Amino acid sequence: MNPTLNTWTWVIWLSSTLVVIWSTRNPIYLGLILLTLICVWLSAATRINKQYPDSRSTIPFSPVRISVFIIFFSAIFNGLISRFGNTPLFYLPEWIPFLGGPVTLEGLAFGVINGMVLSGILIAFMTVNLTLPARSLIRLIPRAFYPLAVVTSIAVTFLPNTTRQVDEIRESQAIRGHRVRGLKDWLPLIMPLLIGGLERAMGLAETMTARGFAGDEGKPLWTRSRVGLVFGLLFLLTGWLFQLIPALQVVGIITSSFGLCLIFYTLWTVGKRVQRSHYRRETWTYLDMFVIIGCALILSIYLLPFLWLDKSSIAYNPYPIITLPQFDILIALASFMLVIPAIKKSNSNSDLHNQIRSDD
Amino acid sequence: MISINNLTFTYPGSNQAAVRDINLEITKGSFTLVVGASGSGKSTLLRCVNGLVPHFSGGILSGEIIVNGLNPVEASPKIMSRHVGFVFQDPESQFILDQVEDEIAFTLENIAMQPEAMHAKVGEILELLDLQNLRNRRIDSLSGGEQQRVAIGTALSLEPSILLLDEPTSQLDPISAQEVLLYIKRLNETLGLTILISEHRIERIISFADNLVYLKKDAAGVINGAPRKIIQMIDLVPPITKLGMALGIKPAPLSIEEKGRITQDYKIHDIQRASNQMRENFESKICLEIQNLQVELGKNIVLRQVNLTLHQGEILALMGPNGSGKTTLLRTIVGFIRQNEGGVYLFGKSTSGMKVAEICRQIGYLPQNPNSLLFSDSVAEELMVTLSNHHPSMDNQALEKARLEVLNTLKRIGLQNQQLAYPRDLSVGQRQRVAIGAVTITSPRILMLDEPTRGLDYAAKDSLAKRLEEWRQAGMAVLLVTHDVELAALVASRVSILDEGKIFACGDPSKILRSSETFTPQIAELFPQTDWLTAQDALSGLRKI
Amino acid sequence: MPSSETSKTNFSSILIYTLSTFIGLMGLLYPLIFPNLMQADFSAQPRTAEMPLMLTLLLAICVIVILYEVQGSSVDAKFVALLGLLVSINAALRFLEVAIPGPGGFSPIFFLIVITGYVFGGRFGFLIGSLTIFVSALVTGGVGPWLPSQMFAAGWAGMSASLCKPVVRAFGNKGRIGEVFILASFGAFWGILYGMVLNLWSWPFISGSAVQFWQPGISWIDTLKRYLVYYLVTSLVWDLARAIGNFIFIMLFGAATLKALRRFKRKFSFQYFPAQSIEMVEDSQN
Repeated sequence: MNPTLNTWTWVIWLSSTLVVIWSTRNPIYLGLILLTLICVWLSAATRINKQYPDSRSTIPFSPVRISVFIIFFSAIFNGLISRFGNTPLFYLPEWIPFLGGPVTLEGLAFGVINGMVLSGILIAFMTVNLTLPARSLIRLIPRAFYPLAVVTSIAVTFLPNTTRQVDEIRESQAIRGHRVRGLKDWLPLIMPLLIGGLERAMGLAETMTARGFAGDEGKPLWTRSRVGLVFGLLFLLTGWLFQLIPALQVVGIITSSFGLCLIFYTLWTVGKRVQRSHYRRETWTYLDMFVIIGCALILSIYLLPFLWLDKSSIAYNPYPIITLPQFDILIALASFMLVIPAIKKSNSNSDLHNQIRSDD
Repeated sequence: MISINNLTFTYPGSNQAAVRDINLEITKGSFTLVVGASGSGKSTLLRCVNGLVPHFSGGILSGEIIVNGLNPVEASPKIMSRHVGFVFQDPESQFILDQVEDEIAFTLENIAMQPEAMHAKVGEILELLDLQNLRNRRIDSLSGGEQQRVAIGTALSLEPSILLLDEPTSQLDPISAQEVLLYIKRLNETLGLTILISEHRIERIISFADNLVYLKKDAAGVINGAPRKIIQMIDLVPPITKLGMALGIKPAPLSIEEKGRITQDYKIHDIQRASNQMRENFESKICLEIQNLQVELGKNIVLRQVNLTLHQGEILALMGPNGSGKTTLLRTIVGFIRQNEGGVYLFGKSTSGMKVAEICRQIGYLPQNPNSLLFSDSVAEELMVTLSNHHPSMDNQALEKARLEVLNTLKRIGLQNQQLAYPRDLSVGQRQRVAIGAVTITSPRILMLDEPTRGLDYAAKDSLAKRLEEWRQAGMAVLLVTHDVELAALVASRVSILDEGKIFACGDPSKILRSSETFTPQIAELFPQTDWLTAQDALSGLRKI
Repeated sequence: MPSSETSKTNFSSILIYTLSTFIGLMGLLYPLIFPNLMQADFSAQPRTAEMPLMLTLLLAICVIVILYEVQGSSVDAKFVALLGLLVSINAALRFLEVAIPGPGGFSPIFFLIVITGYVFGGRFGFLIGSLTIFVSALVTGGVGPWLPSQMFAAGWAGMSASLCKPVVRAFGNKGRIGEVFILASFGAFWGILYGMVLNLWSWPFISGSAVQFWQPGISWIDTLKRYLVYYLVTSLVWDLARAIGNFIFIMLFGAATLKALRRFKRKFSFQYFPAQSIEMVEDSQN
C-alpha cells in the first residue's frame, strides 16, 4: 500500500488536529471538526479496504458509532457528577453519595462538549493508525533510540512467525493427545513457543553478529548525555512545580521549558553520534504541501492573536448558565482545513511517487 | 587466504574439544566442501573463520588462524564481517526485517553508507542473485530457496572476499537446493569468491568442489585435499561413489558423468532388484484407506479425488513437488482438516466424527517440525507426557504400566542411554527419535512421517532407514512423505506421486521412481534399463566383464 | 571499566530513574493533590483543561528518558535479538487476550514481563514491559495518547520485578514453589497497580475539567475520597480480574518458565570479553 502522504505530513496533521481540538470548547466548531475528521477517516478506510479487502484494516468500530457512544456517556457521566449550573433538569435524592443533587442542563452540555473533544482525539489517532503502517511509525523513532528501533523491527518482523508457531505447536501437541480443557493445559503450548523463541533469538543474534551489528560493548553511557538529562529533568520538575503556584507561573513555565529543551537537545546530540543512514526515503508531493499549508493556516487562525479577527467564539463555557455558542464563519471554514488529506488523488499512478511499501 | 595452524577449541562447559589440532590451508578463489559426521566440528570450524567462535560462543581457543591477513580472534566479528560473509542453515532466524530490499540494505545502513551508494549496491546484489523481481516481496512469502538467496545477498553486501555457508540447503527440497548451489558456484566463478561450505548431502555438490575437507569424528583431526583423493577415505559418499568403491574402481567416480568408469569394466547381469522379493508379495490387510478425498481450503482445491491404500507391513513413499498437498493429506487423515468429500477409513472404520486425539492413538504422526513437540526436561518425561495426555488420571498401577511403556519405547527408538537428557540439546537425529517416540508410545499400527530427512546427515538417515525397515518387518505400516529420493529408493515398498492434489502414479518403486527426472535416484539414472534403485542393487546385479 | 566511573554512572542513572519517575508520578497525582487549581472561579477553567495534556506529556517525557537510560550504550546483538523475540512472543500473547475466557482486564503479558524482569534484570524488565505495549499498539493500530501511561506502568512492572530477588533470597526459596508464589503475588500486585495508573491517567480526560468534582474550599482528602469512589466504580473489577489472572498464570507456568529461562541464560551468557552485555554477565552470577 502506498500512503499518499509522507509520514511526517501525517504527524503534522495529527499534531495540528490535537492542538486545534484542545484549544476550543465551542460545540459548533467541535462539531465541524468532528465531521471533518470522520471524512478523512472514511477516505482512508475506503482506500485501505480497496487495497486490502481482507486484512486487519477492517476496523470493527466505525468512528460515527464511537463518537456517539463517547458523547452520550460523557454527557451522562458529567451530568450526574456535576453540581454546577443554573438550569436544573431533575433532582436526584440527596442520600446518594456524591451523586445526590441537581442534574443540570449545563452539566449535560459540558459532558457533550467533553465527549466531542475525546472523540475528536480518538478519531484523529484512529485515522493515522489506519494510514500509517507499523514500519513507517518505526522509521520515526529518533536516532538516539536506534537499538530500540531495531528491537521493535525484529519484534514486528517475527510476529507473523510467532502466530504461525502457535498454530504449529497447537497441532503438534494435539497429535499426542493434548486437549485444552482448562488454563493449565496452556503449558505445553506456551513452553515450546518460548523455548523456540529463545533458540531463534540466538540464531538471529549470531546472524546479526556475523553481519557486523555488535559493537561498543561495555562502554558506559556517554557521561555528558547523563549530565544533560539529569539537569534537564531537574529544571523540568522544578519549573513545573513552580508554575502550579499562580505567583510563580511565568518563572515556572520558563524553567520547565528550558528543562524540556535541554532534554531534547541532549537526545538530539546523542542521535548525531549514531552512525547510520537510511535506505528508504519518503518523497514529498504537492499534496503534502497542501496539507502542511492547511495545518499552518488553521493553527494560526486558532492560536495566533490576529487583531482583526474576533476569537472570542473559540472559548466557550456552558456554565454558569447555558447560552447559544457564538459562531464566526471564518473560523468555521478554517476548521475544514483539516480535511485536505481526504482528497483522493485523481490518478492512482501518482502513488508511484512514494517509495514506501507497507507491511501486511 | 585462510591459514589455520594447530587450532583446538573447546566450548564453555564442555570437557571435550570440539575441534582439535586442525591444520588447513584454503587458497584464494577455491571452492571448498567441508564434510564430516554430525558433531565432528564442521560448524565450529566455519565459525572460527569469521570470529563467531570464540567471540559469540565463549570458550577456549588455542592455535592460530589467519584470514586475509587478519586474526579473527583479535579482530572481532564486526571487523571480519567486511571480509567474510556467513550464511546459516535456517532461513527463519536469519532475517531482521520483512522485505527483501530492506534486509539487504540493513547491513549497509549500519555502516552509514550514503543512500545513492546503497541503492546501487543493493541493485547490484539483487541482479547477482536474480532477485530483482522479488525485491519488494515479503521474505516470508518466498520459497526456501529464494529465502536462502536473499540470505546470501545479505552476506554479500559488505563485499567480502570469502563466503562461509553452514549447511545452507539442509532445510530445502532438492530442487531449491540445487538452485541455491548453482548460484553459489556461479558466485565462485564470476566473482572469484572463496567458498567454504559445509554440507551433508554431498552428491549435489561434490562435482563443484575443488577442495574437500573431511573432519574426523570426535575431533580426531582433519584430512583435506582434492575431492577425488579424499573421497576414498570417508564413508559418507554418494551412491555412485559407494558403488565404485565397492567394485574396487580407483579413483572412484564422483558423479553421473563418470559412469563410464563402471560400465567399461562391468556389465549388467541381473536387472532385478536385490531386495525385490521381500517387498513384492504382501497380501496383508489394509489398515488405512482413503477414498475419493476432496479437500478445499478457501478457494483452492488442494486435494482432488485422492485414493490411497496403506497395507500392514509396507512402507509407502508419497512424493511430489512443493505445494502438491502432501502435508494437507496427512493433516486431513489425522483430523485437523475436514474433507469436503470422500472418506478416510482406519482399519475399515470411518474416521469422521473421531477426535484428533483418538485418531492419533492409532496413527503416529511425525510432523515436519518435531521441535514443536518437545518441551520437557528429559526424554523419558517427554514420552510420559503423551501417556498422561491420553490417560489424564492414572492410579499407581496405571503409572507403573506407563513407565514400562516409556522404557519399551526408549528401547525401540534406541535412546535408553539418553533418557535423562534434555531433548532440545540432542542432535537433530536424536531429537527426531524422541518425537517419534512421543507419537508412537501408544503403540499405533500406522506411522506417518512428514519430511523426516530434513537436516539429517547420512548416518542418521541410514539409522532412520534401518529403523523403518525393522518396524515394517514387525508389522507396522508406514506412510512416508518425502523429497528424499535416495531414502525412498532404500526403504519404499511402493511409491505414490501426488501432484497438484491428484495422485498421478502409485506402484512399484522401480517403475515410479524412473517416471520423472526429479524422482530418479542416482543409481537409476546410471542404469536406466534395469530395476535398480540403490547401490546395493547394482552391486548384486553387476558382473565383471 | 574503572570502578570510580562505575559508581558515578550508577549514581547518575539512579538519579535519572528517580527524577523521571517522580515527574511521571507527579503528573499522575497532581489532579488529586492540588485542589487549589480547582477554583470555582470559572475563568480559571483553561488551566484545568490543560491537565490531561500536561499529564500525558509528562508521562511521555518520563518514559522517553527512562527508555534512553535502560537502552544503555551497548548495541549487543544477543540483547537486541533476545529482547526482540521475547517482545514478539509477548505481543502475540496479548492478542490471545481475546481468546482466553474470563473477565475483561486480564492480560497474559504480565506473566512474561515479571518473570523475565526477574531473571534478566530490571533493565530488561522495563524494556520488555514498555516495548510489548508499544509493539502491540503499532501492529493493532492502537497508537494513542494512552501509550505513555501504559508503557510507564508496564515498564515499571518489569523493572521492579528484580526487587523480588532479595525477597526470594531472604526466604531461601530459590528453585522452589515459594519463589513462584512470591512472583505470582508480585504479578497480582502489579495487576492492580497497572490498572490504577491507567485509571489515574484517564480520569482527567473523562472528567473533563475537574472543576465539577470539587466544591470550593474542600480539602484534598475529600478529593481523594471522590477519586476512590470513581475508581471503585470504573476499574476495580477489571483490575481485580487482571490481578487474579496474573496470579494464576504465574503460579501455573512460572516454574517451567523459570527453568527454561535459567537454562537459556546459563547456555548463552558466555562472553569472550567480560565487559560485554553487562546485564547478562551480572545476572549469570546470581
